Amino acid sequence: MSEVAVKRRSAQRTSLWGWLLALPTAWMVAFFVSSMAIIVLLSFGRTTNDGYPVFATSTANYRAIWNEVYLELFLRSLTYAVATVVISVLIAYPVAYTIALHGGRYKNALIAAIVVPFFASYLVRMYAWKALLSDDGLVNSGLRHSGLTDGVTFLNTPYAVVGGLVYGFVVFTILPVYASLERLDTSLIEAGKDLYHSPMRTFFTVTLPATRAGLYGGVLLVFLPALGDFVSAQLLGGANTYMMGNLVQQQFAEGQNWPLGSALTVGMMAALTVLMVAYLRATSTQRRES
Amino acid sequence: MATRRLERKPALAVAMTAVFFAWLYLPILAVALFSFNDKKSLSAFSGFSLRWYDDLVHNSALLDSLIASLKIATVSTVGSLVFGTMLALGLERVTSRRGRVIGAVTLLPLVTPEIVTGVAALLLFTGIGLKLSMTTVILAEITFSIAYVTVIVRGRLAGIAGEVEEAARDLGCTPFQAVRLVTLPTLLPALIGAGLLVFALVFDDFVLAFFTTGVDPQPLPVRVYSSIRFGVSPAINAIGTLMLLASALLIVAALWVPRLFHRGTSSLDLITGGDPR
Repeated sequence: MSEVAVKRRSAQRTSLWGWLLALPTAWMVAFFVSSMAIIVLLSFGRTTNDGYPVFATSTANYRAIWNEVYLELFLRSLTYAVATVVISVLIAYPVAYTIALHGGRYKNALIAAIVVPFFASYLVRMYAWKALLSDDGLVNSGLRHSGLTDGVTFLNTPYAVVGGLVYGFVVFTILPVYASLERLDTSLIEAGKDLYHSPMRTFFTVTLPATRAGLYGGVLLVFLPALGDFVSAQLLGGANTYMMGNLVQQQFAEGQNWPLGSALTVGMMAALTVLMVAYLRATSTQRRES
Repeated sequence: MATRRLERKPALAVAMTAVFFAWLYLPILAVALFSFNDKKSLSAFSGFSLRWYDDLVHNSALLDSLIASLKIATVSTVGSLVFGTMLALGLERVTSRRGRVIGAVTLLPLVTPEIVTGVAALLLFTGIGLKLSMTTVILAEITFSIAYVTVIVRGRLAGIAGEVEEAARDLGCTPFQAVRLVTLPTLLPALIGAGLLVFALVFDDFVLAFFTTGVDPQPLPVRVYSSIRFGVSPAINAIGTLMLLASALLIVAALWVPRLFHRGTSSLDLITGGDPR
């Protein structure tokens, strides 16, 4: 094939691929990018006397969210999200390790058995916990029958909310950790065991560093939805366990202060962006090292 | 020696895995069990009955919601499949800087908390004067689902060498024909898998639907949510059981269909990041 023909063909191809990109890109700009722009713009807006949101150039909303009540709520959300991440990692490693290294021919079936319920209705699964933990639920009736206690109030506690978040999102930690454990060269673990004679030391000096990429991915993927969640706190918790998501939801669905809600959302996104950048930094240094 | 040592199962990890599976399934199975209870209790099973399911089929508001959700999921699946596939094809072959920027932007919905996407969509639709309805839910769901399709289809595309298209071109195909006759048929398993996954995700999606839906008919998860807020009841157990069962079947199909085409692979590899072959 002559050079000219190759050039012509690649030019033709580029134009086809360019056209294929154009429509979906236009769609994403129209419905996603622009919606993000509107939320940023409205965060500087205000509500009129009869309650309509209008664009403006005031920083009043940001000053309004910089107060004790909102900061406390932000800290609480952060605490719940971090707790969710820690518990998810503590669950993900043993589960992923067992399946990836000792699952044998049932590996795929076991992972599917985790994935299937997790991708099925988040809402129904949160409801399932509510039903199980409620005062007349199965757990409490079991406790009463055993005669140990008259029943324990599980709902409306931080434990219930964090438990719900873990139950809702732990799969996002398990999958990346599983993927990197599966790719791990098992002779590394063997060498580690020969060197250190302790499974724990082997895990912390060999397995964990070698699966860092999966760990980072898993941490990020569970942190993002946990920080923005409002369903767990709404169904399993109460007003004293509300998270940022509940605050945002209230401003839009109940309180009807959209500009304030927008400022809260932008604040949440800003916090997440900082964490994302930190994550990308961490993974890119790792790539350079290896 | 070394291999035998690895074969010895770490007892603690295995035990934790067993507990994890129990914890994962216990609440779901309890919901299913008490949906067949003939009394209202959620802790004492007094007898088998289908009365709560009977209530469901006579609840016309709920049936309207079910139909609305089915419509939303169908249209959103088709829409996101079309856009997502176009995007995947374009991104895989355009390697310019512009292509990379577009690629990054289209993946943003995956890393944006759903509440942010939902609230932003609500502002956009109200801003441009679009009345909240089933249409607005569909627009939001398509926007959100394109990224899923793109990721899955790109994973499969990376496994198909560009030479196949090249060969079709040498045999006289136009670029468009090469894609239609050669690339798309090879993508079929990935497209079916992605379609089933997106259908299940959209059908079950609560957060986006909650912010973008109009008053009537509400999508099924939104209606279920408002009844859950009032408390737990066997009727919710019944609808919840059906919803879990329906999406479980869809996800199982999404994982299995690609296997029928290529033995030894499944879209599980795509979800877990395994090597696409």
